[in-house]
Amino acid sequence: MRLVSGDTANPKNMNIRSVLLSTAALVGALHADPLAVEKSELKLGFIKLTDCAPIVIAKEKGFFEDEGLQVEVIAQSNWKVLLDNVITGNLDGAHMLSGQPIAATIGIGTEAHVVTPFTMDLNGNGITVSNSIWEQMQENDPSLDVDQPEHPISSESLKPIVEDLLAQGEKLQMGMVFPVSTHNYELRYWLAASGIHPGFYSKTDLAGRTDAEVELSVTPPPQMPATLEAGTISGYCVGEPWNQQAVTKGIGVPVTTNYDIWKNNPEKVFGVTRKWADENPNTLIALTKALIRAGKWLDETEGDQLVHREEACRILSQPNYVGADYEVIKNSMTGTFIFQKSDVRDMPDFNVFFKHDCTYPWYSDGVWFLTQMRRWGQITEAKPASWYHEIAKKVYLPEVYLKAAEALVAEGHLEDAEIPHTEDGYKPATTDFIDGNSFDGHKPIEYLNSFQIGIKDDSSFATK
Amino acid sequence: MKYKLLKVIDTAGLSFLSPVVRLVTGEEPRKQLQDIARFILVPTITFLAFLWLWSVVAPKHKTKAGEVPTPSVVWDAAHGIWRFHDRESAKEQGFLLIGSARESELQRATARLKEVEELETRAQQQLATIRDRSKERFETAVAPAKTAYDRKRDDYRQFRTQQAAELKDEAALLRHSDSATRQEFLTKLRRNAETEEALKAEVDRLKAVYSEAQELTFPEVKQAMRAATLLGEEKQFLTKYLDMLGESSREEKLATAEQRLEDTRSRFLSTTDEDLYKLGTNLLKQEDFLSTTADSRYAKPWTLPKQIVRSLLCVFTGFLIASAIAIPIGILCGLSPTFMAAVTPFIALFKPVSPLVWLPIVMIIVGGFMPDPENHWLVVALSKVPFIKNYGIDPMFISSAITVALCSLWATLVNTALGVGSIDKDHMNVARVLRLNFTSRLFKIIVPTALPLIFAGLRISLGVGWMVLVAAEILSTSEGIGKFVNDMYTNGSSQSFAQMFVVVFIVGFIGMLLDRIMVFLQRLVSFDTAPAL
Repeated sequence: MRLVSGDTANPKNMNIRSVLLSTAALVGALHADPLAVEKSELKLGFIKLTDCAPIVIAKEKGFFEDEGLQVEVIAQSNWKVLLDNVITGNLDGAHMLSGQPIAATIGIGTEAHVVTPFTMDLNGNGITVSNSIWEQMQENDPSLDVDQPEHPISSESLKPIVEDLLAQGEKLQMGMVFPVSTHNYELRYWLAASGIHPGFYSKTDLAGRTDAEVELSVTPPPQMPATLEAGTISGYCVGEPWNQQAVTKGIGVPVTTNYDIWKNNPEKVFGVTRKWADENPNTLIALTKALIRAGKWLDETEGDQLVHREEACRILSQPNYVGADYEVIKNSMTGTFIFQKSDVRDMPDFNVFFKHDCTYPWYSDGVWFLTQMRRWGQITEAKPASWYHEIAKKVYLPEVYLKAAEALVAEGHLEDAEIPHTEDGYKPATTDFIDGNSFDGHKPIEYLNSFQIGIKDDSSFATK
Repeated sequence: MKYKLLKVIDTAGLSFLSPVVRLVTGEEPRKQLQDIARFILVPTITFLAFLWLWSVVAPKHKTKAGEVPTPSVVWDAAHGIWRFHDRESAKEQGFLLIGSARESELQRATARLKEVEELETRAQQQLATIRDRSKERFETAVAPAKTAYDRKRDDYRQFRTQQAAELKDEAALLRHSDSATRQEFLTKLRRNAETEEALKAEVDRLKAVYSEAQELTFPEVKQAMRAATLLGEEKQFLTKYLDMLGESSREEKLATAEQRLEDTRSRFLSTTDEDLYKLGTNLLKQEDFLSTTADSRYAKPWTLPKQIVRSLLCVFTGFLIASAIAIPIGILCGLSPTFMAAVTPFIALFKPVSPLVWLPIVMIIVGGFMPDPENHWLVVALSKVPFIKNYGIDPMFISSAITVALCSLWATLVNTALGVGSIDKDHMNVARVLRLNFTSRLFKIIVPTALPLIFAGLRISLGVGWMVLVAAEILSTSEGIGKFVNDMYTNGSSQSFAQMFVVVFIVGFIGMLLDRIMVFLQRLVSFDTAPAL
């Protein structure tokens, strides 16, 4: 208690206790009965990225406690360790890449049935290239050589660089964070949209470099800037704060964000194992309730201003959470993104935690990741359309989400209009991609076959 | 008395203190002063010189990823680490405070929060002013470089397009020319390419100047930012702390829960128009909730002091396992050359293996034995042992400890074998003549004789174990110093490097203490008077 070193005497001598008690009673009246949770002391894992915010906020703002949960939030060193810890039971649940529960369920990498009732955020990634690549891109496309080039920047101007290198017998090296990460698919999408082949996975090629013109490798997020500076890779796709770190330290230039690659794309989910979900159904609903409240808190606005983001950054910058400097986290979290020292832009939707029906676990999101896994050969065999839907329904748990959301509505923490009332759990078809391609979650095979680069399946699979 | 003290000092391996004792008792003052100068003054001076050199050299070494912290920055970081620990402990205690203690603490914290809020607003304003000012200065400083670069670049582009157009036109006219003219045109093209390249080089140079100018930073901005951050952090802490003392405190929560339980109970007992089944189950749920709330505590994050204790626990666990394996095998090796021959290939093969290789293997094996770690008998049993239960023994801890054991047991094994092997033949013969049985031989002759060497081995093992542990913890993310290092590294904040330096000193200091303890034990069991290094 030595810390609170201020004056002990409060001149006004007001009775704080009574004030607080009356507020507590008022809040208490709003509370519905707590769920009978099967397990009240939980350990949740996360990776030090700003999009772990819902978990951290739910803890710090007491949303978990309101559900009768004592939660310990533990940083994990990489996605593999995190997933293994969830599967072995060292962790109850964790902040996961959207692709992880799906990949684990269908057996890419470690096999285990992992499910998700909650999408943590939309957007939030960027692609950064080294200074020298950026200069060459500017040479190839002089319109980029201005203080604020027009967005979106495609990989068109990167293509000549890749071709030059290939002519010299070399391949451009780029980094991403995990084989089944959103970053891998986004980087591939961005490259392939301009006709650069990022390589296929196959049964024997687990590095995904067959036919590659650009070679992608796995680097843990925190090591991205240093690896880029060392020249091992010439660019990378990663979440925040690692793009902003690179630009503020003068190591590289973020050329595009995933908002430009696919507007409002799903990014992270909250994952638990099927076994855990079956053993602790009420705990899962309680967790989901707290997380939805955290998402809503994070996206609360007054006018155009996100009102809680600065406080969130302050919390995230604590060493046991994300731990990066407050000023660095603040950039992207409060809706500004530094592309270059001369190019600071407003990106209010860079991190979305609640808006645009973000938190709902859409089946169509699962289908999209499955199509990308097939497109690049991580799913080694052709599968019928029905399989895509079946897997998405195995992994995404909107029924848990809806139970949690309805409970929140009953308690007055959420309005009914804030719950997406969808007929079948699929988002409407969209063309918000950098290449303007259209994605309809109902038609995975047609979508798969619409790409120029990528594995295509026989159209008869569409109706199977 | 004096000699007793000197003996203690010597056994403890603190022989640098003995000249002081001798000087105080007036023994050969001149010699003692010389010794003090040599053993106390010289190391102190070198250490100070090292600090000085460090503070001079460090600021000169900068990379884009960060700069080498000076001693004062490291000191600051150590304070930061401690502050975090202190604040988390405050929250933990605040959550449990009751009655008037809680009230007075509430008032104190509220007053402090008010103060901090004012200070923070002021610091933010100051930061904004300094930022604006430095932004202007930045722009004026960068502007000339930018204009020069822009102009040259435009020139270059214009030159390129213009020349290309002209040369293209000229080439169009050459369709019917002879080879000499064509040769001449080629020379012209070449000359043109050279000029273009020279121009490009100039553009690149100016661009480099421009980007270097953009690197300009202002220390006062950094300082103001730091001041604002410190206050912002305190504000954040106080807000949370007040919450833990107030609405979220256990007392307050219990009161609310009790109140609600009481309401439900009275409704259950007296209602006529409500569903009794539903009300009843609710009542039971609320009772459960009340009892969990009564046991609840603040889920405090791991802080460095607690991580250090866990690391020590882990290293000693590993060390015990290693000793339990190495000493018996070592004795057998020393007694029987055949057994030694059988074991040698394993020692030779496994000794050089790095902990980073052992750990994943051990993790898989341990994981195999503990499919459901939380309900595994060992974890359950350990979670009931006082003291140890606070440190959350999990498979990661066990894997790290086993890795420590696997890497550190070799020194003890080899030394034990050596110690037992070098027992005087006469002693063994005497034992045979006296018809001592194996147990007596073991404890009367073999172990006592080999003890000094066994302890020398144990000392090396503990040192190796301590070194291995940090690596194992980094890889396994088992809570401890290694996890702390990994977390700070992945934080990538402006404090990260300095925090790493703090860890260097902590790990070094603890390693030194462990070594001293082992030296002390070794001295206790041996007649060896060689200086302890």
